[in-house]
Amino acid sequence: MRAGRTLLVVSILTRTGVVLLLCFLALLTNYHNLKRSYNSPRLVELSEGKAMRVFYEKTDALFSRFGDPAVEAQKSGGMTWSIRLGGIPFTDPIAALSVLVKSRHWELGFALGLLIPLSLALLFGRVFCAYICPASLLFFAISRLRLLLAKFFWFPEWSLHRGFCWGILAGGLATALWIGHGVWTLVLPYFALGQTLFHGIAYGAISFSLGSLVVFGLLDLVMGKQFTCRYICPTGRLLGAIGRKSVFALERDADECIEACTSCIDVCPMKVQPKFDETRDCSMCGECLTICPTKCLSIGLRKASAAQPETSAP
Amino acid sequence: MKLNRLGFLRAFVAGAVVPLFYPLLGRLGAQTRRGRKLLRPPGAQPEADFLQNCIACGQCANVCPNKCITLVGLEAGIEHLGTPKIDARAQACILCMACTQVCPTQALEKLEPTEEGKRAVKMGLAFVSEDHCYSYAGRTCGVCYRACPLPGEAMTLGVYETPIVHPDHCVGCGLCEQACVQMPQAIRIVPQADQTRIDALLERRRKLKPPASPWKQGAKWDDPPNR
Repeated sequence: MRAGRTLLVVSILTRTGVVLLLCFLALLTNYHNLKRSYNSPRLVELSEGKAMRVFYEKTDALFSRFGDPAVEAQKSGGMTWSIRLGGIPFTDPIAALSVLVKSRHWELGFALGLLIPLSLALLFGRVFCAYICPASLLFFAISRLRLLLAKFFWFPEWSLHRGFCWGILAGGLATALWIGHGVWTLVLPYFALGQTLFHGIAYGAISFSLGSLVVFGLLDLVMGKQFTCRYICPTGRLLGAIGRKSVFALERDADECIEACTSCIDVCPMKVQPKFDETRDCSMCGECLTICPTKCLSIGLRKASAAQPETSAP
Repeated sequence: MKLNRLGFLRAFVAGAVVPLFYPLLGRLGAQTRRGRKLLRPPGAQPEADFLQNCIACGQCANVCPNKCITLVGLEAGIEHLGTPKIDARAQACILCMACTQVCPTQALEKLEPTEEGKRAVKMGLAFVSEDHCYSYAGRTCGVCYRACPLPGEAMTLGVYETPIVHPDHCVGCGLCEQACVQMPQAIRIVPQADQTRIDALLERRRKLKPPASPWKQGAKWDDPPNR
């Protein structure tokens, strides 16, 4: 129970951190501009105001620790789609697939950016969805709102087949091949959120991707808890498939588990069934750990399949 | 199991159809700007290759210290959504090459911020409208020449500071367009993507006689110009 709470708090904190990071990176555009044009806090305050001066000074101090601030600041940038943090690239697997389909060629840095996301998925499964994805923070809030409103209204819980996500992935790749990678800005919730934040903060403009976000939000509110994450987002499905045999997984102590209890299945936002050891799309959000009455669930090393130990130790 | 497979297939097809409707969304954008080609950041590959490689990650716009790179919305159709563009009249490129350094997919080829790197850029081509230009009307201006990053190469001055663009050397950064004091601007960048328009304008320039000095030979300072 304690562990579940901790995980929930950590997941909210990390996702909030990611949102703040995206805002900061979008503001970094202004920093580059001010650094290049004024290079003086006093001039920044005179032309852009006090708040901008504070931001400018803090950013300058932050990057000065690593070296020349103007150079260091340019090592970070981008959105969740393709991002550099301190010179380390991160690439979305979908972006990599899209580029592979369209131009049949990966740049080295672009391919290296896949390493960390893929190894995360191989180690922990779909943790991106509960700990990194900034859009899932929005959907988390909406699912809580749903709980609140459920006292007054009845909400349906629709479900779709897994194939729908794969279909969106295939259709998106086909559309990308047909017209361009820009289509992903509207298909992927976190990319839409990144675009909206970037346009809003860097240019003070309302991005069209906001419309896409609203559609996803309404789907979540009306169709089911975290509907977008489960049935629409192809990234989650892809990461779930990659991390199907992840090193760490949700484990159940079968002796402690109560036969008649299905609270973990009911509470799971990903519609995973920990009770039946079916944890394929588990994002380790910790909701089931919190609710389990006998604390028989835990996150740990995935147990080897039952037949394996017998055969390997004769 | 068979039923499940059918369900998967059905859901797969239903899912695959959804993104294919997105191009229709692009039709919602303003129709007037659909045909207009966009000025891309320096180092951009030819338009078709550029669109093939650009994943709309926005890192070039993020890193631009001049804030001249903006991301395209729906105004040019969904195929350009999120790709970088430069509106030269609003804010032109200063050829610092920061964007070419960070592009993850080489949609913008790497260029160094040196003189050679500067000269390797080919974003577009500047064209002077002699009907609008102050200098061609006999009022000495020369603002575009002073803004040009390659003065004497990409642009030279005729008599009374009339700008003459040299297509082989002009990199199309747009600093001249940004600087032009005339409204509307008398010098414009035609993006590299709009090759047909560049060819047409060059052809027209070739057919026209080179613009003569607007002043009569041996004119006095207060003589009116020829036209």
